[in-house]
Amino acid sequence: MSNLVAIFLGMVLINNFILVRFLGLCPFFGVSKQLGSAISMGVAVTFVMAIASLATWLIRNYILIPLDIEYMNIVIFILVIATLVQIIELFIKKTNLGLYFSFGIYLPLITTNCAVLGITLINATQNYSLSSSLVAALGGGLGFTLVLAMMSGIREKLELANTPKSMKGLPIAFIIAALLGLAFVGFSGII
Amino acid sequence: MAKFGKEFAKGIILANPVFVLALGLCPTLAISTSIDNALGMTLGVLIVLLGSNIIIALIRNFVPNITRIPIFIVIIATLVTVVNLIFHAYLPATYEALGIYLPLIVVNCIILGRAEAFASKNPVASSIADALGITVGFMLALLMISFIRQVLGTGGLSVFGHDLFSLPGLKDHPIAIFTLPYGAFLVIGLLMGLFRRTGVMKSE
Amino acid sequence: MPAKSTLKNAFPVILLTVVVTVCVSLLTYVDSLTRERISAQEDEAVKAMLDEMFPDMSRYDFQNEIYIIYSDGEQIGYAFLAVGKGYGGDINILVGLNDDTTLKGITIVSQEETPGLGTRITEPSFTDQFAGLDVNQVALSRDGGRIDAITGSTISSSAVVEAVRETALEKIKQIEEEK
Repeated sequence: MSNLVAIFLGMVLINNFILVRFLGLCPFFGVSKQLGSAISMGVAVTFVMAIASLATWLIRNYILIPLDIEYMNIVIFILVIATLVQIIELFIKKTNLGLYFSFGIYLPLITTNCAVLGITLINATQNYSLSSSLVAALGGGLGFTLVLAMMSGIREKLELANTPKSMKGLPIAFIIAALLGLAFVGFSGII
Repeated sequence: MAKFGKEFAKGIILANPVFVLALGLCPTLAISTSIDNALGMTLGVLIVLLGSNIIIALIRNFVPNITRIPIFIVIIATLVTVVNLIFHAYLPATYEALGIYLPLIVVNCIILGRAEAFASKNPVASSIADALGITVGFMLALLMISFIRQVLGTGGLSVFGHDLFSLPGLKDHPIAIFTLPYGAFLVIGLLMGLFRRTGVMKSE
Repeated sequence: MPAKSTLKNAFPVILLTVVVTVCVSLLTYVDSLTRERISAQEDEAVKAMLDEMFPDMSRYDFQNEIYIIYSDGEQIGYAFLAVGKGYGGDINILVGLNDDTTLKGITIVSQEETPGLGTRITEPSFTDQFAGLDVNQVALSRDGGRIDAITGSTISSSAVVEAVRETALEKIKQIEEEK
């Protein structure tokens, strides 16, 4: 149990997906201007990460390894993720059209989110058990959402500040990420 | 020929993948701790981007719209797996250094982005020029960031085991924070701001 | 004509299947080219580490997760891998045993600890402490053992100590049973 807690905390804070592992940066800079959309994106990504971890774990342990074709993992994992995102997209379109439109193009873009393929690869290289993989995925997603939410809160306020023209937008966002990352280094003592 | 040159040059400054298009940031920031890593990653991206641009430009008139994205993904993933295996076998040090960021080239927005935006609509020759230009732009950006991070973070420059130079004051007390993620974000933010300020690249 | 429109509808699927088949074949081919070389490299890496730990080694065997070390026909020791839960991830440790199951030494194979603090577990000042100890002495000094932790990285030090002791106890039991 303590092992799972360690993995979870490790993923959320110590090896945070955005600030430490650099995974999931594209939506980070694209979506993080409003708190509401940041949180929705975070939740969506976490959900995909969890299901993708489950699916890829099963495929890797019951198909790839027994057949000794582990080198196929990159192709298979990304196809699984792409399919998953398609299915989720259709589901959201049918059940909550408003949500579908507010996501816009960022929903299909979850497929190319490094965080999703990233967690499946991390699970594979660390040889995590099924429970560890799921905990890692939830932790990773939560960490991602946390930072995304923080970032959007800061950027909302930043709109009112007097940023120099050349720093407006992406450059200042990077600096903020640097400072957030620095703050998070303080977490590395907790386990 | 002029067109080839134009497409090539575009990728270096005007449409620089890192500083202007802000694509493919994940591996860029992760890998930019040393020149060795930067060059290794560039090689991987070159092979995949060139390969995918060529193949997709070749088949662009046959691919029906519905299956476009799945086919692109399969092609890119295959190229990345090939690079992964070849690096593992023949360039083990680079393979170890790049870690999971090598397979993550699959979801590097640069590759799929260029496939969608360019190679699927342009002939093979232009697509090759585009791939080469974008890779050079990527490489320059990566080298710039890695250079700063490596020199400030370790006090000197060491490429493939050959020590090029060390700065006396820094070597004993390197600003180690530059080798941490914080340093990556800081350097790229400042560089972007600098490029926009000096007009080399456009602001928002 | 019905045949023509069926072909048109089926084309996307056919193309996708063709592309997938070509890609899978290519991958299988490249894998067959590189597979041997990759496993040869891993063997090289292990051999290099064992050589360093047992300078007199002439060859080794790998059975049931334990390396058996020989020097000119005589068995001189054992080695095995232990994994510790460090600060930043797994710490992989190669543990060497003398023939009488006292510790020959340890080598840190890989770790992701904090640079300057936890990474000091790779320094001889830490790893040399393990040489010659009896398994039951493998514990931190604060817990009554013989290993001094590295100041400022008790977690990394303790992870190594725990992993070495627990895995050694397991392997020694296994060796005794096989005798």
